[in-house]
Amino acid sequence: MSSGAVMPLEPRAKDGRAPDVFVPGGWTPMGEHRDTEAVDFAIVGTGAGGGTLACRLAEAGFSVVAFDAGAYWRPLEDFASDERHQSKLYWNDDRIVEGANPLKLGANNSGKSVGGSTVHYAMVALRFRPEWFKSRSLLGYGADWPIDWREMWSYYAEVEQALAIAGPVTYPWGPKRPRYPRRAHPLNAPAALLARGAEALGIGWSETPIATLSSPRGKARPCVYRGMCTIGCSTNAKQSVLNTWLPRALAAGAEIRDLAMVGRVETDARGMATGVHYQRGGEWRFQRARNVVVAGYAIETPRLLLNSASPLFPDGLANSSGLVGRNLMVQLNQAVWGQMEQEVRSYKAPPSLALTEHWNYEDRGKDYHGGWCYMSQGPLPIGWAQTVAGGRRMWGQSLVDEMNRANHSVGLKMVGEVMPSPDNRVTLANEVDAYGLPIPRISFSYGDNEHAMLAHALPFMEQALEAVGAHELWREEEDTCHLNGTARMGDDPATSVVNADCRSWDIPNLWICDGSVFPTVGGANPSLTIQAIACRTADRIAAMGKRGEL
Amino acid sequence: MGSVAIRRPDPAIRLLSAGAGLVHSAVLLDSGLEHYRGSFRNPAMLLPLATSTVNIAIDGTRLVTGCSTPDSSLRVAGQGGAVAVGLIGMGFHLFNIGKRPSGFGWGNLFHAAPLGAPAALVLAGALGAAADRAHASIISDGRAVGALCAAGIVGTAAEAALLHFRGAFQNPAMWLPVAVPPIAAAALAANAVVRRAQPTTAALLIVTAALGFAGAAFHAYGVSRRMGGWRNWRQNILAGPPLPAPAAFTGLAVAGLGALILIGRVRG
Repeated sequence: MSSGAVMPLEPRAKDGRAPDVFVPGGWTPMGEHRDTEAVDFAIVGTGAGGGTLACRLAEAGFSVVAFDAGAYWRPLEDFASDERHQSKLYWNDDRIVEGANPLKLGANNSGKSVGGSTVHYAMVALRFRPEWFKSRSLLGYGADWPIDWREMWSYYAEVEQALAIAGPVTYPWGPKRPRYPRRAHPLNAPAALLARGAEALGIGWSETPIATLSSPRGKARPCVYRGMCTIGCSTNAKQSVLNTWLPRALAAGAEIRDLAMVGRVETDARGMATGVHYQRGGEWRFQRARNVVVAGYAIETPRLLLNSASPLFPDGLANSSGLVGRNLMVQLNQAVWGQMEQEVRSYKAPPSLALTEHWNYEDRGKDYHGGWCYMSQGPLPIGWAQTVAGGRRMWGQSLVDEMNRANHSVGLKMVGEVMPSPDNRVTLANEVDAYGLPIPRISFSYGDNEHAMLAHALPFMEQALEAVGAHELWREEEDTCHLNGTARMGDDPATSVVNADCRSWDIPNLWICDGSVFPTVGGANPSLTIQAIACRTADRIAAMGKRGEL
Repeated sequence: MGSVAIRRPDPAIRLLSAGAGLVHSAVLLDSGLEHYRGSFRNPAMLLPLATSTVNIAIDGTRLVTGCSTPDSSLRVAGQGGAVAVGLIGMGFHLFNIGKRPSGFGWGNLFHAAPLGAPAALVLAGALGAAADRAHASIISDGRAVGALCAAGIVGTAAEAALLHFRGAFQNPAMWLPVAVPPIAAAALAANAVVRRAQPTTAALLIVTAALGFAGAAFHAYGVSRRMGGWRNWRQNILAGPPLPAPAAFTGLAVAGLGALILIGRVRG
């Protein structure tokens, strides 16, 4: 570990029990499997993809062991209102970043916890625009998904129910969707300013559909608007994989192994996966499995597949197309900030309570491909100091002065679609990490399309802030968020890594189920789509199991 | 008003007084909490506390005596003040909702100043005035008061529906105040129309009155389900479901029982 963050020394989920996330010091029973027992599914990763899939497969009757390199936290007792301490939730292991726009990895694009990055995500729960699933055919860019949007629409509804999403009574964009299970939260000041700005510019806005409770749910309490969401919610109001899908997974008999780093997927002479090598409690072990699911997100997934090369698969597993690690897509996360006369106190309540998807659904007036939305913002103090120090080159007294008026700062931040490019990719470096595994090398550069989108988005967001009387506007031009691609799904083994069911073309019992499979990334936060894909994959696997096709 | 104060205690007057006083009590506590939560930013936010307190005294006195006092200018001032403050409050609350982005959209109906709440003050003031004129010709047949109570119950149920929708009806019990009181209100209104007091109406009103108490208990449970539960009462009483609000059902149903007695007397 290079982060120096506070981690429990010992795994918690063992001896027939796992932490009960709703009770300080609490435990809940957990089924266990021996390493020598070939379980139906060994799942690598317990985030939006792996955690959701573990739940749904266990509920379908399969034996499941899910591994996570991170710790099994109880939010009520393990999370502090302290940005530095909570960096323990990020994947801060060594990586090499390069390219024209090297990525800043950690807070808003990784997670190292049971529950993955959903433990500290901003909870924004957006559906894709339907056309994005056929962006090549309908919009002329990127690649088509092998899945119809109408099928996704029903899985989105399932995930929205599972997470008790709090959203507006009617959503202004896209085809009809069922009512959100919970009502939207009240707007905080920055959200109200976004709304006023949108109204002044004549575009639509909405309360953001968001995965934090607006009314009680079982043992989870409604949101108390502390605003610490992105460093881990300590009240369980946030509906993460950790406190929604995983308690269900445990109840259905799944086993979760925390602090268990999978280093290699083993394959046999027939070219089938046989299990996973993992390190836990200081020793390497091997779990046998009939199927292996890789769900480590868009860096760790290709890293594991490439690290698992064998004589039969010298270029890494599932890589006959040569696309493993390619087409890495982040999302543009640039912002515009300004100062208001009145107090704003942006950090109160969840950070993104209002948004506009206007430019996700409006294609006229664009000289670029893809969509983007923008949301209200609520930076926490240290994050804000870093933003100001980095973005405005402030230091010393000027930084202190700026921080002293942070209560009057307001911002709008975009989530913008990045085009898939084979040159943006994850490969292996020669250096090894503390586990002895080659570390990933991540190369990323913007293309012309990204620059054209920014040239439209940043002035537009400036207009929206000017319209509400913000002054001293400045641009935060460097941030990105989320990671997708690197193992895209498709209809053709030559141009994709997995099929629509997240099953790898090359190895029938190897599956990939996380944001890596996205052929395109859209202008919306990916977590809802990842979970919807996982639900669909579980249903497809259950159907194949019934037909004896596994 | 040419009517003369009747000195013999009248149970109908007592019920009307108890009902009006209960609604004023609910207004006092509810507006006290909510306006405290709003830091009494506008001094006018103190007015409902003052008027409801005065009327609790008026209605309480009448509850004890059981007799009308139609000619007291003090009482007219108190009851008129309640009606006026309630109307002004509705205007303020309308303004508060309308000035926000998206105006009268769902979000503001949920979270901005509640439109229906000041109406309770209007209703309670009117009920108190009616109790002081229970033997005047337009009041004594109970029909107008019955209609007023029925309308108040329907309005209160509508507010419960709106706010329980805000809470996504996460507990099935949240349907009770939406489903039951309107039936009682419909029965009371029907009785007022046909000038007949039916026992089933009385029963429905008693159930509605009981629901008011049950609602307070449910809301106390709701407070316990927020972060920190009752140990964190200073925040959760403000942020959780409002404890005094369901008592408005009890008050209106009790006053409705008074109206029902008056309706029953017409046929003798």
